[in-house]
Amino acid sequence: MFSRPTTEQLLAGIAEQLRTVVAAEVQTEPTKILLQQIDQILMSCSRRAAHEIAWIYEEADRIAAETGRNVGHPDSLHLDDMVAWYDAASRVLSEEVEAAFRSGDEARIAKLKAVLDTRSAVEMQILGALELVGRG
Amino acid sequence: MLNVDEMPERVRAFLGKVEPSWTNVVVDSYEVMTGGYSRLLAKVELHHDGGRETVVLRGDPPADRSLIFTDRRQEFELLRVVAEHGVRTPRALYFDPTGEDLGTPTIVLELSKSTSFMPYVAAGGSLEGMHVRLAEALASFQSTPVASLPASMERPSSWDAYMTKRIDAWRQASLRHVESLPVFHYVAEWLDAHRPPEAPLVLRHGDFQGSNVMVTADGHFEMLDWELAGIGDPREDIGYFKAVAQAAPPDLLDDARVEEFCARYRELTGLNELQVNPVTIAYFLVLGVVGTVEQLVHGGGAWAKGENHLFNSVFNMSSVLFGQSMWLSFLGQLSEPMKQLAAAAKGGA
Repeated sequence: MFSRPTTEQLLAGIAEQLRTVVAAEVQTEPTKILLQQIDQILMSCSRRAAHEIAWIYEEADRIAAETGRNVGHPDSLHLDDMVAWYDAASRVLSEEVEAAFRSGDEARIAKLKAVLDTRSAVEMQILGALELVGRG
Repeated sequence: MLNVDEMPERVRAFLGKVEPSWTNVVVDSYEVMTGGYSRLLAKVELHHDGGRETVVLRGDPPADRSLIFTDRRQEFELLRVVAEHGVRTPRALYFDPTGEDLGTPTIVLELSKSTSFMPYVAAGGSLEGMHVRLAEALASFQSTPVASLPASMERPSSWDAYMTKRIDAWRQASLRHVESLPVFHYVAEWLDAHRPPEAPLVLRHGDFQGSNVMVTADGHFEMLDWELAGIGDPREDIGYFKAVAQAAPPDLLDDARVEEFCARYRELTGLNELQVNPVTIAYFLVLGVVGTVEQLVHGGGAWAKGENHLFNSVFNMSSVLFGQSMWLSFLGQLSEPMKQLAAAAKGGA
């Protein structure tokens, strides 16, 4: 397969064409709003495509390290298997968060909060700037 | 409602049936409106032997195009109740409960003459005193007697029971989703561990935000879109308003204005300083969004499973991502103030 341009580049390129060429031809307000939403989603997809597998690995490793629990391994690097593994690791994190609050152990809660903060930072990197187009 | 060829005749026939005093109704224009988040909206201009009218239709989209499922009859009944109690909101004029006449269950509303708040702000409208008007708007609908609200609205058995259910909604949203959402579990546990002082349950709007309020000619707020209304803690709508303002400014409850807002709100509602203050507002900034969040997550999950094809369901997940970042940040800062508040409440008990 051709690996370049990368998926990240292609999606960003499509978004740019929609923004600079197609948008000018769109006449109706609902379609203009839809196009702006598509632009934001495409740019998120572009950022995700560049790092998704690595981010899943990094977070699963972090969950295992901070909880001391075995989160296993993905069945393959195909995205369906990676996403299934990520869900399993996320369930471990959810359970540990609940257990930490039940225990009242503030240090344990703080460690898990740090894992969640890192997860959220990645999500914000994917999101970029949020513009609530189509409201109000 | 989206069929602009068919709808004028449907509207004419419906209004002829429900408003016999209007004779020889002629629909002059039928325009699908943008801005409706979960319902279809259309503006209708018409004339009859007695004069000219403009009304708004607010109806359910087809099931496979629905972001959320809410009860039009309950919304219609609620609109009638709040209008009777002097709440500023467009009056509900007529109702097609089955869609037999208008194609889908539809409320016919008067057209508001007010200006939508967000365009008002974008056009440079003055925000002077608007935080005080906000307190008055909230107090106006929250003072509606609970006994007069539609019978279909759930009546919580107690404030504690209500809070337990609302907090658990965070966990349930994660458990029902297509993947686990650990931040939701953290939020639920934190909220449970830091409950604020109790407050009487009241009518809550459920989606009280800048996009759902308008500014009247004399500078007051008028409320729209009551479909998520219910009976709950009065501070939820306040927190929710502030939460949405983080992503879509202006924040009328920012540090410069929040104390004055609280003072006016307490004056109107009789709640005390332990119940209503910047810290409890911040608590409800997180708790107050759960109703909307669970709907958005449900929509995104349904899209992932191929059960709906509404692009908004995907787009709205961005708001949840943004929210997660905000909730984590707010809760991190709130732990100590909430402990101090609990200690003060205990000391005064």
